[in-house]
Amino acid sequence: MAASDERNKQEMKHLSDQELMRLIQAGDFSPASEIYDRYSSRIYNFAYRFLRNSEAAEDATQEVFVKMLKHASQFHGDAKLSTWLFSITANWCRDYLRKADNKAKEAEEVLYTLPTSAEDAPDRNLERRQDEAMVQRALSALTPEQREAILLSRYQGLSYAEIAQISGCSEGAVKTRVFRAMETLKKALAGDPRGGDRCLNAIS
Amino acid sequence: MSECDFMRESMPMLLTESLDPVRREHTHQHIEHCTACSDDWTAYQETWRVLEELPVVEVPARVKDRFLAQIAPPATLPSNVVPFTRRPALKWIAQAAAVVVIAGGSYFTGHRTKPVEIQRTPAQVTSVTPIGAPQSQFSIAESRVLPASLINPNIEGRPDIENVQFERASTNDEQITLAFDITSRVTVTGRPTDKSMVRLMRYVLENEDRLGPSRSRAIDWVKTTYSRPGNADPEIATALANVLRNDEHQGVRIKAVETLKTLQPSVGVSAADTRDALIEALKSDPNPAVRIKAVEALANLARTGAPLDTETLNTLRLKAGQDDENVYVRMKAAEALSNVKP
Repeated sequence: MAASDERNKQEMKHLSDQELMRLIQAGDFSPASEIYDRYSSRIYNFAYRFLRNSEAAEDATQEVFVKMLKHASQFHGDAKLSTWLFSITANWCRDYLRKADNKAKEAEEVLYTLPTSAEDAPDRNLERRQDEAMVQRALSALTPEQREAILLSRYQGLSYAEIAQISGCSEGAVKTRVFRAMETLKKALAGDPRGGDRCLNAIS
Repeated sequence: MSECDFMRESMPMLLTESLDPVRREHTHQHIEHCTACSDDWTAYQETWRVLEELPVVEVPARVKDRFLAQIAPPATLPSNVVPFTRRPALKWIAQAAAVVVIAGGSYFTGHRTKPVEIQRTPAQVTSVTPIGAPQSQFSIAESRVLPASLINPNIEGRPDIENVQFERASTNDEQITLAFDITSRVTVTGRPTDKSMVRLMRYVLENEDRLGPSRSRAIDWVKTTYSRPGNADPEIATALANVLRNDEHQGVRIKAVETLKTLQPSVGVSAADTRDALIEALKSDPNPAVRIKAVEALANLARTGAPLDTETLNTLRLKAGQDDENVYVRMKAAEALSNVKP
């Protein structure tokens, strides 16, 4: 039985997302693990950067894959599975932020994610951590819509059309959100003194 | 909006390479000649680069554990514990009988994989019509009784003579008889839909392994000819179903099921025999490639919108959820089910 499971796991690695989803739609949940392995990192990182809360990002990741199984029949295969999963994730994150008590938690967590490298000098490590914190703070200055757009565009490499589908808005609206996000980030990160105050205000 | 504002709005799309070539070229040209936009562009590039400072964060392993635990079926605990007891003699006899039944069944099933045997029906010539008469019917299975005086004494070429029988021998001056089978070269021309051609093709399909070098070649020919909507014939489908059931070569069975698939739009798997052959292949063909093709043939039917009967649906459901089935067969079965119209 264990050998059969292992063989199935290996075979599933060769199946496309659409093929795996068809199995799930037929009531077979065994491909869930394979889909999780393919997308969990992207989903978690998106939620993590969007919510700035690792605990919430863990819940989001788990819930997204449970919802994927629960609502598998709604996936028609005309969109990419990644787009559909990011739609579920973005919805979950928006709902999370909408809840009043979560808003307070939103900016609480200070995200230092860079592993400490033994080869790097302590001052270099510190510098890298500071850079990361600076970027995270700059992202915090964005509205949730802008943050969603820039995270999907810059870190997930999605097209504007895909982001529009995920965010439930027009492609034009996505372009505007990315443009405004970049303007704010540019001011915050590229040393533009006009943006620095806004950024500091937003996180204080 | 000034041209510079317009260019600035294009810069994020320039970074994500989302601009069409003409606008991209235009924006680049503007940036080259406009100092303010050039500075802005440098700042955009720097910002885009700095965003890379956020590394990919590893998902904690506990998230997957929690997810898999959440979707795992609830463990069923045994409601009672059956104590070990010595099996009664009657149970041993029942099990032995079961083994006999299974062995007998396997023997029977195994013998079904033999080539199709078609009973020979000897034909008799009742009349002889001169060659060239347009309305004459020529039987390719016939026996002739001829006096030696009608046979040309010069035997030309090297005709294949088989099954020679010396039926009467005589040392005095009486009649002697020699019987044999001789193969004549017969070229038959007609439309694919002519009943004679259909019957001939059916016979060739079911007997090609005895009559010629390759049944596979016969299937290729049938596929080319009878896949055309106007030519499809239920008898051809039946012959292919027989090949699917009985041929011992998996390559031939795959070809048979593929050809059945191409015949379906016209013939329809509603022909019970054909559908049964596909279901049989899906259930018990030892080769997964044949089973995949069988599912595809059934899926093809579902895709055309034809209603599938309960047995077909049940078989597809069974295959889609069968743990020890090849994953591609399961996936194809699931795909077929997703195409079934409610």
